[in-house]
Amino acid sequence: MKRRSSMKRRAREAALVVVGVVALALFVASCGSSNDNSNTSSVKGPDINAKGEGQLNIVNWEGYTDPSFVKGFEKETGCKVNDTFAGTSDEMFTKFRSGGGGQYDLASFSGDASLRAIKSGTVAQLDMSKLTNWKDLAPQLQSPAFNTQNGKHYGLSFTWGANVLIYNADKIKQNLDSWNVLYDPKYKGKITVPDNPIQIADPALQFFGASDPYSIDPATLDKVKAKLKQQRPLVRKYWVLATDFDQLFKSGDATIGAGWPLMTNDLRKAGMNVKEVIPKEGVTGWSDSWMLSNKAKHPICAYKYMNYTSRPDIQVKIADVTGYSPPNQKACPLLGAQRCNDLHVTDKHYYDTIKYWETPTKPTNYRQWTDAWAEVRG
Amino acid sequence: MLWLLVFYIVALVLLLMTSLWQQDVFTAEIVRHWTLSNYDKLFTGQGGLWLRIYGRTVLLATIVTLIDIALAFPLAWFMARIVSPKWRTLMFLAVVVPLWSSILVRIFAWRTILGGQGLLNQFLVDTGLLSHGSSAFLYNDRAIAITWAYVWLPFMILPLFTALEKIPHSYLEASRDLGAGALTTFRRVILPLAFPGVVAGSIFVFSLTMGDFVAPQLVGGGSQVLGGAIKDRFGVAADFPFGAALASLTLVTLVVFLTITRRTGALENV
Repeated sequence: MKRRSSMKRRAREAALVVVGVVALALFVASCGSSNDNSNTSSVKGPDINAKGEGQLNIVNWEGYTDPSFVKGFEKETGCKVNDTFAGTSDEMFTKFRSGGGGQYDLASFSGDASLRAIKSGTVAQLDMSKLTNWKDLAPQLQSPAFNTQNGKHYGLSFTWGANVLIYNADKIKQNLDSWNVLYDPKYKGKITVPDNPIQIADPALQFFGASDPYSIDPATLDKVKAKLKQQRPLVRKYWVLATDFDQLFKSGDATIGAGWPLMTNDLRKAGMNVKEVIPKEGVTGWSDSWMLSNKAKHPICAYKYMNYTSRPDIQVKIADVTGYSPPNQKACPLLGAQRCNDLHVTDKHYYDTIKYWETPTKPTNYRQWTDAWAEVRG
Repeated sequence: MLWLLVFYIVALVLLLMTSLWQQDVFTAEIVRHWTLSNYDKLFTGQGGLWLRIYGRTVLLATIVTLIDIALAFPLAWFMARIVSPKWRTLMFLAVVVPLWSSILVRIFAWRTILGGQGLLNQFLVDTGLLSHGSSAFLYNDRAIAITWAYVWLPFMILPLFTALEKIPHSYLEASRDLGAGALTTFRRVILPLAFPGVVAGSIFVFSLTMGDFVAPQLVGGGSQVLGGAIKDRFGVAADFPFGAALASLTLVTLVVFLTITRRTGALENV
């Protein structure tokens, strides 16, 4: 009798603990889910001439916070830049949102993350009157759909470029002009491609005639998947960070791959003879915008950095580091006619030929793409 | 006890709860709608893809654990029973000091050793064993296993060392006096007494391997391991709930592993 009552008590205690744990877990889960989306049609940015907050936290692509121009910014404004790199757009989006947002002031979202950032209410509307170089950007980049919605600006374009074919010209003598080489058994074990589901858009555009490679139907997705599965045994390594790509080329483990002009620049600086091509089947690309967290702790420094990096002289420095094209057309006199032409700074027609990264939503959505990508890698 | 509750139990319950939710693929907002669909995908989705990844990881973890037992046993024995105390301290430091350096540095070191023009290939070419550098050592599962075996080795050596050090010398003498040869002494005296150390080391190595994604990302090839697949659900796919479901698979595996080792009674003496 006594034993049973003590057992009963123990059971009740256990039940209480369970209830407590679940309640606590629910409480923790509910934290950070609040989400205020209070944007009015016009906003007032901070006083950009005021003294900065002393710090600036940025999550961005490699090359966008290079010491060659960040040092000057820190000296000029007293804002110390703390940067974090992302390997994929989703990593950037996840990092930017982590901890309820506010850990990072700025992100360098590409078109495939910028709309998601706007729709999820994590970025703040920008006060364009405080962005001193905005009016000098190429017309198509002043209010592009990927950072401007219903006339409200959420981002400032500051670089764009294409996903290109790069190869070691010492090892591969002929001139290449087709993406077919990345599927050619001749280069087995020497190929590197990005470890990124958005890569699915490339074969969709280049081999399956998808003029909008970000809205493909399930049948096309299956065809792309089959093509990428064929490529899989030829791939030496799926690269994640730009530095992975560089190392693969430097060590001779890869001689050909899909990358960004940043890598061509890095490898040439390291004395390698690499060639960069825009193959005839067409290319995907990205157009990046600075976006400000709506919980930014250092908005003055953030506006200062947006202004700094869109200034003609700094746009040139970014191009020096990354090889990407500057949107600010006033960079041209500083670049010289030849480089201005090579980077297509004022060539709207060229700009329009690139298929810029977007988040796939329909007929197949991004979840289907990531699952397909996981299947390709196996 | 409260800390245990807050930091471990609540976290685990959260993980399990998340695995029963969904995530909006566009806004990355968690949708708290209870469903078993993540587990359905885990067990049946995409032609068994996720179970294959899981199987590969368990196999790799087992291989790495066995390699580490084989490597650590002689070394721990040497440290515990043969060298003088002065040298023992030095050897102990040699085992522990690498743990103070970043794991990334230690993994990168293997990249330079195993690469196409790495130390290993240079050696093989110089000695005439290969005509030109081979690409068979890096960016595949083999490279992952080698790297893991190296980075987790100290976690096997230390518990084994402790277990071997505790064996009284008189036991070995008694065994010899009773006519047992070296092999019999090892099999019937040393091994049973060292077993708790082997088990403790295996728990470390096996569980560290099950969860790691850094080594596979840096030295692995195309195929995925569980740690990397989980990381990608969070970092790339914006599918936290499915990532949580995959993580609960690791959890179940480790619980089973611990239960088996507990059954052997090895944990009672540790």
